[in-house]
Amino acid sequence: MTGRIYKALGVALVLYSLIYGLLTSVPDLPIIEQSIRNLFYHVSMWFAMVGMMAGSFGNAVGFLRGENLSKDRRSESLAETGMLFAFLGLFTGMMWAKFTWGAWWTNDPKLNGSAITILIYLAYFVLRNGIEEPRKKARISAVYNIFAFVMMIVFIGILPRMTDSLHPGNGGNPGFNSYDLDNRLRMIFYPAVIGWILVGTWIASLRYRIKNLSQS
Amino acid sequence: MFVVTLFQSNSRMAKIGPLIQRFAQQELRNSNAIFSLGLYLVGITYLIYLLGGQNASDSTWNTLLWIVVFFGAINQASRSFEFESGDYFYYYQTIAGPKTTIIAKLIYNSLYMLLLSAAAWALFSLFYGNSVYNPAVFALGLALGCVGFSAILTLANGISERSGGNATLSSILAIPLTLPVLKIVSAINIQAMVGAPLEEVYELVGSLFALDIAIGLLAYLLFPYLWQD
Repeated sequence: MTGRIYKALGVALVLYSLIYGLLTSVPDLPIIEQSIRNLFYHVSMWFAMVGMMAGSFGNAVGFLRGENLSKDRRSESLAETGMLFAFLGLFTGMMWAKFTWGAWWTNDPKLNGSAITILIYLAYFVLRNGIEEPRKKARISAVYNIFAFVMMIVFIGILPRMTDSLHPGNGGNPGFNSYDLDNRLRMIFYPAVIGWILVGTWIASLRYRIKNLSQS
Repeated sequence: MFVVTLFQSNSRMAKIGPLIQRFAQQELRNSNAIFSLGLYLVGITYLIYLLGGQNASDSTWNTLLWIVVFFGAINQASRSFEFESGDYFYYYQTIAGPKTTIIAKLIYNSLYMLLLSAAAWALFSLFYGNSVYNPAVFALGLALGCVGFSAILTLANGISERSGGNATLSSILAIPLTLPVLKIVSAINIQAMVGAPLEEVYELVGSLFALDIAIGLLAYLLFPYLWQD
């Protein structure tokens, strides 16, 4: 029953943010203009990705504590779902950058951070594929997962704050907190983040169940 | 002699010194490895010189230096656990245990990387002239970078060694993880080259130091799980 509630809530919040994000009035700012609506579709992807990776990290720690293989399957499923959000975030960001900055890709600390994150987790999947024995695979990839998550947080959370970014809200660019109407944006942005995290959990739980079936 | 010293000393700290000595002896015995690393350093530096490296700007000089150090470090670290594989694995586990071994390994690899980067810096200065304005800050950045670098490479090599992987796997694992360290180090080094005093890079040095401690702590905590069989 609780499973149904969170899935329904996730779908409702995502639908709300998708539809209402297009209908609501947004502050009229130079350069960004209507593309500010990408806040609901692009930024929420990164929040959902960090949420999935944090779940994956938590399950990796849990595996090392108890050597329970189902935790390892959960950890892998969450990392896979996180990768999905990473690619969606990259895609929506590139579309936005082409129309706002005039280029698909720029040398921006946040872009570098997301590229490195994707490389780190692709290496995680390469590592997993290289080991046959399930318990050994789980233990070694959990070690790498914990290390990788900490380095990812350093790269996307701390480094961009040390240098200027082209992103709104950085380096003197108008940002989320400086808008007069920021509360209207928040009313859609926060539900979008929560909704996508719930939907991501659903996707990960489906992948987890598929893995369980293919094991037995 | 070595084994006797280890068995006699009960505390973990007392075992670290002899272990580091042991690693150094193994390295010195295998003199071909040191020779090939030195040859790599001279060869790649001269190759860059021939391709016009002496005209490099500050940021290019810094980038080239780090690329040379980076591949030297990967080459060195890829041999880091070759003595610990197979029978040696059980040997070290019996006489020292994983926690002592990883501390000794981290210290030893950091020292090795310091020598490597100092040699690269000296060679670069010889061929292209030393364009560093504030050597003390540059050396500090290099040293802190080496510590973080070697910790990441040590853990990545432990992982690839235990998973029975090849040398490519350890590079795949290590390269994206080293980028946060590399990014801060190159920022400090660029500041040192244009002659910024220590006070101006204080924040960067502090964050690199904190990052080094975090990486070292993670390696220390995670290594015992890697060593279970």
